[in-house]
Amino acid sequence: MSERILTAREAGLVACTRCGLVHTPRTQNCTRCGAPLVSRDRHSLQRVWAWWIAGLIVYIPANLYPMLLTNTLGTRTRSTILGGVVELWAHGDLPVALIVFAASIVIPVGKFLAIAFLAMSINKRRFMSVHAQHRLFEVVEFIGRWSMIDVFVVAILASLVQFSFVASINPGIAAICFALSVIFTMKAALAFDPRTIWDD
Amino acid sequence: MEIRPPRRRWWRRISIIWLVPLVALVVAVGVAAQSYANRGTLIHISFTNASGIEAGQTTLRYRDVNIGVVETVNFAPDLGKVVVGVRVASDIARYIDGEAKFWVVRPEISVRGISGLDTVLSGAYISGTWDNIPSGERTKFEGLEVAPLQSQNGTQITLRLRDGNQISAGAPILHKGIEVGSVGAPRLGEDGNTVLLDAVIEAPYDKMMTTNSRFWDASGFDVSLGTGGIQLDVRSLAALIAGGINFDTVVSGGEAIEPGASFFVYPDEADARSSVFTSASEAELPLSIIFDGSIAGLTEGADVRYRGATIGRVTDIGAIADMDEDHPEIRMLANLQIDVGSLGLPDGSTVQDAQDFFAQLVERDNLRARLATASLFTGSLMVEFVEQPDDPGATLDETHQPFPLVPIAPPAITEFQTTAQGVINRIGGLPIEDLMRSAIGALNSIQALAGDPETRRVPYEAASLLADARSLLSGEDVTGIIDNLRQTTDSLRRIGEQIEEGQAVSNLIASIEKANNALTGVEGAAAEFPQIAQQLRELSAKANRLQIEELANSADSLLQSADVLLSNPDTQRVPGAVSDALDEVAQVLAEVREGGAIGNANDAIAAAQAAANSVSEAVSDLPDLAGRIARLVDQAGTTVSGYGSDSRFNVELVTALRSLQEASNAVSSLARSIQRNPNSLILGR
Repeated sequence: MSERILTAREAGLVACTRCGLVHTPRTQNCTRCGAPLVSRDRHSLQRVWAWWIAGLIVYIPANLYPMLLTNTLGTRTRSTILGGVVELWAHGDLPVALIVFAASIVIPVGKFLAIAFLAMSINKRRFMSVHAQHRLFEVVEFIGRWSMIDVFVVAILASLVQFSFVASINPGIAAICFALSVIFTMKAALAFDPRTIWDD
Repeated sequence: MEIRPPRRRWWRRISIIWLVPLVALVVAVGVAAQSYANRGTLIHISFTNASGIEAGQTTLRYRDVNIGVVETVNFAPDLGKVVVGVRVASDIARYIDGEAKFWVVRPEISVRGISGLDTVLSGAYISGTWDNIPSGERTKFEGLEVAPLQSQNGTQITLRLRDGNQISAGAPILHKGIEVGSVGAPRLGEDGNTVLLDAVIEAPYDKMMTTNSRFWDASGFDVSLGTGGIQLDVRSLAALIAGGINFDTVVSGGEAIEPGASFFVYPDEADARSSVFTSASEAELPLSIIFDGSIAGLTEGADVRYRGATIGRVTDIGAIADMDEDHPEIRMLANLQIDVGSLGLPDGSTVQDAQDFFAQLVERDNLRARLATASLFTGSLMVEFVEQPDDPGATLDETHQPFPLVPIAPPAITEFQTTAQGVINRIGGLPIEDLMRSAIGALNSIQALAGDPETRRVPYEAASLLADARSLLSGEDVTGIIDNLRQTTDSLRRIGEQIEEGQAVSNLIASIEKANNALTGVEGAAAEFPQIAQQLRELSAKANRLQIEELANSADSLLQSADVLLSNPDTQRVPGAVSDALDEVAQVLAEVREGGAIGNANDAIAAAQAAANSVSEAVSDLPDLAGRIARLVDQAGTTVSGYGSDSRFNVELVTALRSLQEASNAVSSLARSIQRNPNSLILGR
């Protein structure tokens, strides 16, 4: 990036993170929307890492414990996320296996990596342009809201497929862990102060 | 412009948000620790096959509650068994000790119903049972192939049977018709002679069992034939198919039993009930007997009796080769089983006790085994033990293998069959065949004669012939002749009898001789009298030659011939005229034979005179009669000669005709004599 970008902080101003109105440094609250004004959140990085670690912790049981407890005519099946993918693959359901794999493995893992990368890139030598970093952050933030697909599927299945003995599906403990993991990573992404990307 | 916040202490710089991952970590670690702690104990159970067992799927249940899941299904190192690893909850695992038994529950359909139906859909599961006292945890077990008896609510006992044919696992135990328990799979006892059955009597019925309880086999059905007719007794359908065991406490006063008590199962109710009064020992003493002769009629299962009571049975019969150098032979061997209990030995007597007892009896009381008739009609035999006081010296050969050898006594076989055989032999010895052959020959001859067309023709011709004869006989002339003849002969006989009677004869002879002498004298003296003398001499000679007896004889033989002819079955068909004629002939002849009453000499002489007169009157007819008879005989001869000369009838007829001819000859000769010299009748010469 050859073009020098002037940040609000360099201009001696404080920008509202909600509505974008810039204020003079001493202003406490945004005059337009009333949001508190902080030039740089000093605890941002700590919170990112804290949520990130919490998300990672619950992501481990989410993969180890069964996601779905299927009971078909007395036959109980306990499938983990990865086990489900392998099973689908073995049955020849390639597209479904890929979708599940992407939604449950690739995206969460990618999110973890992206957030960690962004967090570590601040105040460090840059491997990526600030523009690219900002775009990455926006992608992570955008994807975050779709990461609950798995949980939704499990929730819907569990509520719909309750035919007593013939077939019933119950959520496993991994579903809760996975949901928590999604929530924690979203919190991590939200805790990230994207303005720090632009600081030198 | 540089805006720098003042430096703060490091803990002030720590955000409160760090609590979140901390809590997450604590929770995760806590859950992990707890789940590790709750992971339970891994136990290994080996089965011969793992049908229906899946890792992660199959559960281990105790009293139908899941207490663990199969984690691994592997093979034993030698591939001889399947080792199933089961993760069992730790709080339960400490009870799983050496007593524990495991088996696989699969759906099973038997005569007693369907069990394990839930496993059809859920799959097989492993069930386990153990007591409630933790005594040393174990992790390696041998799984059972069949489910053991569930004995959580009853008393477990062991039943002993002679054979397990009738009983299958799960068979019911009945008490007064109510199912009070069930049996496990039969297994062979250690001695190999008895079948053992684990059984459970459910509470509260186990209270009914005492030491005086008796068990008997109620399998199948009983058919008993008695004065009340046929009685069919079927316990229950399940008992009919899977077998069943009944028990009853026959007499009161028994003591309560301990779990694991052992009972003998009697073959039927009568045995069970009577066993209360005999020894309860069910030991069986095997013995062998070697017989010299045939044992035909002795079968396996035949009774072994002693003084009339059945004490055992014949188990098998075979032959053994006696490899004697001098004369090798095959001898018959029978093995027996003696019910030690039926000998009345005290309770708890062993087979060895019984054997010693037997040896003692054999040596001291000369007990011997012998064959005896069990049934007179079927000829079946049994083995009987008898004392033979006059046959000392033998002992029980306890060295004989495989069973001790009992000395034998001569068989006491009632020779019903032998006797019957003798009777039959004697009947068979009768010359029935010869007799029959002769009878058949005779009948054949008769048939041939009857069937001979010539014979068929006989009756008609014979009838006409005999009609001729009858008409001749019944003719005026003949009857007159016969009458006269009869009178003549009567007179003659009377004369003869008078003459023979006494002095008259000698006097007459003397007078005749005197007359003769006189006549001789006269002949010599007077020449004119020779003619008269000659006549007188001839007259006496003629009188002497009178052939009345010959006639009678001939007539008699004619009658006999006629009788023979009449008795010939073929002649029966000859019309009545024939028999009438012959009857007449017979009558005539009888009259001829019969003499009249004897009168005095004067009457006789007068009668003779009259007779002589009659004769002389009739004499003129005699030649005609003789001629007619001769013609008749000729005619008959012609008729008869028409037949074949070999016909029996012909022969008889010829004989008859010959007799008739002789008769006619006699008549004609008589006629000639009388004709020639009528005075001879009067003069007695």
